[in-house]
Amino acid sequence: MRQGESIVFQSFRQAMAWLHTWFGLVLGFVLMAAFFFGALSVFDREIDRWAIPSSRFEPQPMPSFEKVLRPAFERMQPLPASIEAMRPRVDGPMPAHYDSIAYWSAYTTHRDPVLALYAGYQVPGAKNPEELLLAEATIDPRDGRVLPNDQLKIGSGFFYPLHYSLTLDWKNLGFWIVGFSALVMLAALVSGVVMHRKLFRELFTFRPGKARLRSVLDLHNLTGVVALPFHFFFAFTGLVIFASTYYFPIGHTQLHELHELHEKHEAQELGLPHGRAGVPAGLANVDAMVAQAQRRWEARGMAGDVGFLVLQHVGDANGYVSVYRAGTDRIALVGQGVHFKASTGQLLREDPPTTAVGRVSEFLTGLHLQHFRHWLLRWLYVFGGLAGCACIATGLVFFVEKRKRQHARQGSQGARVVDALAVATVAGMGVAVLCMLVANRLLPEALPARGDWERHAFWGAWLLSLLHAAWRSGPVARGLPNPAWREQAWAIAVLAPLAVLLNWITTGDHLLRTLGAGYWPVAGLDLALLVVAVIAAASARRLGRRAGACSRDAAEDVEAAHA
Amino acid sequence: MSRNPAIARPVRQRRLQFAARLAAAILGGYAFTWGFIAAAMAVLFKAGMEFHDAEFLASALGLLLFLALFLYIVASRRRPAMIWLALLGGGALLAAAASLLQASVA
Repeated sequence: MRQGESIVFQSFRQAMAWLHTWFGLVLGFVLMAAFFFGALSVFDREIDRWAIPSSRFEPQPMPSFEKVLRPAFERMQPLPASIEAMRPRVDGPMPAHYDSIAYWSAYTTHRDPVLALYAGYQVPGAKNPEELLLAEATIDPRDGRVLPNDQLKIGSGFFYPLHYSLTLDWKNLGFWIVGFSALVMLAALVSGVVMHRKLFRELFTFRPGKARLRSVLDLHNLTGVVALPFHFFFAFTGLVIFASTYYFPIGHTQLHELHELHEKHEAQELGLPHGRAGVPAGLANVDAMVAQAQRRWEARGMAGDVGFLVLQHVGDANGYVSVYRAGTDRIALVGQGVHFKASTGQLLREDPPTTAVGRVSEFLTGLHLQHFRHWLLRWLYVFGGLAGCACIATGLVFFVEKRKRQHARQGSQGARVVDALAVATVAGMGVAVLCMLVANRLLPEALPARGDWERHAFWGAWLLSLLHAAWRSGPVARGLPNPAWREQAWAIAVLAPLAVLLNWITTGDHLLRTLGAGYWPVAGLDLALLVVAVIAAASARRLGRRAGACSRDAAEDVEAAHA
Repeated sequence: MSRNPAIARPVRQRRLQFAARLAAAILGGYAFTWGFIAAAMAVLFKAGMEFHDAEFLASALGLLLFLALFLYIVASRRRPAMIWLALLGGGALLAAAASLLQASVA
């Protein structure tokens, strides 16, 4: 499409085509990362097991508060880095010890062997008194042993946040980029449907033998249309999940007073004044409260485990303890909260049944985050996410293929640049992930800031992949394929089995052992890596054969006009 | 594209107009959506809905509205100035209504 004519659209369809092409191109790279790391995040906790060998044991229920959690919570303090980060927003010196505890909480699912603990501390003199200093720790719930902070949970601590924020935390920039991309994804889906009148026929159209351009487009339409509800659902619910926190934080800004009013109503229903009393108070036996909550769930015919345990205003007379049931067997993450007065253990309130709107909200967010037990659906999510990646990748490749020869004749570098970016996005992302896994197995166990080194390996490999793709992109300017596609496919085919091998050498957990023991978190990732290697090697061979054919063709039909 | 200066100027002007329209679709659409969500939240809360339910319902509907506005404005042939005026004016009115409702309740 030439730019001059693109400005005034003759029809709605033309406008949608413009939108689809150009917004898809600019944000396709971000969307690809969101879909790919989202697909990996489906198995985030399993990837964590692979990356932290000391956590390779069976999932554990919420441990006893008195025996395990209380000592672990009492030892917790914010990290020096978060203290430094908050210092400019506090009048006066930072305290030496943080003992005004706003909350302690622990969240677990049916897939968690280790337990993540969270704490929020009030800081005297904070310019915004509502701003809390946060702390996090991971413990072995069997004995309360603390896992070192330097051990990066590659799945839940890196791939997962990468999926929704690109780990660009400055001013929440990453959230905004991914959020805008999600809006564009929705727009691309609508505009894609508008562009193609024969939507239903395209569902069954794939002509792998036809001209490359045609089969790339077929694959783009196929992966887009087959998984259309999946793509729309995830882009939309992703936006909904963060809407009230990041994108439209109206309840925290413009309508803050309504929010406050609501919290006061809630405190009334709970039977406790809103906020801290400022009067110290003890903490009754929390295990007894948990046992009572479980008896109440059982009485309602829904016996279950504790998923989320929260202690608000610890050590204050207004403190209370909330026990939530794990949503292992339902879509909501947690629910059926039972609340107790912390100082006496007296039952304050049981959550009423969820409202109709609340159920819709639980359904949409719960289905996106999927913490319930359903392994088939979990795999379908992975394939849906990969179908999304395939749809975006073929869209980018189609953009290049359609223009490559024309640009070659005009001496334009456009297709060449887009193609190099596409190599780095599609193949480079795989290379970066594999380099991170390899680094995870090669770096010394006790290396200080080990997690940072793993992150450097990831970003460094990704950057190298982009430089390599740019360096090898010369042939695209002559209408030929970029050899970087093939070379990076080979890199994946080598790195993936290498990661499996290193896992064996450094931990002794080879596939025969993990499969024999039925330890699927590690066996599954190892198997997936081997499958990836086979697919990458097959693609690399195919690309090699095609490159040979292409250079022969191109010599003949340089001036042949194509679509 | 033509090198003829008599044609080049309108092209440049049309490009600017197009950029203004895209900006309206993104930023103006955001401003209007903010107003819509705030107003819907306040109305639903006043009508007795639980706060977080109102927040969720208004946001979900608001996001769909944002998508529809975005697509409509990109395809629209109206003058960008008019679109900007309608979005900012409408968004401000809705947001003001939300704040008034809040003041009447809280």
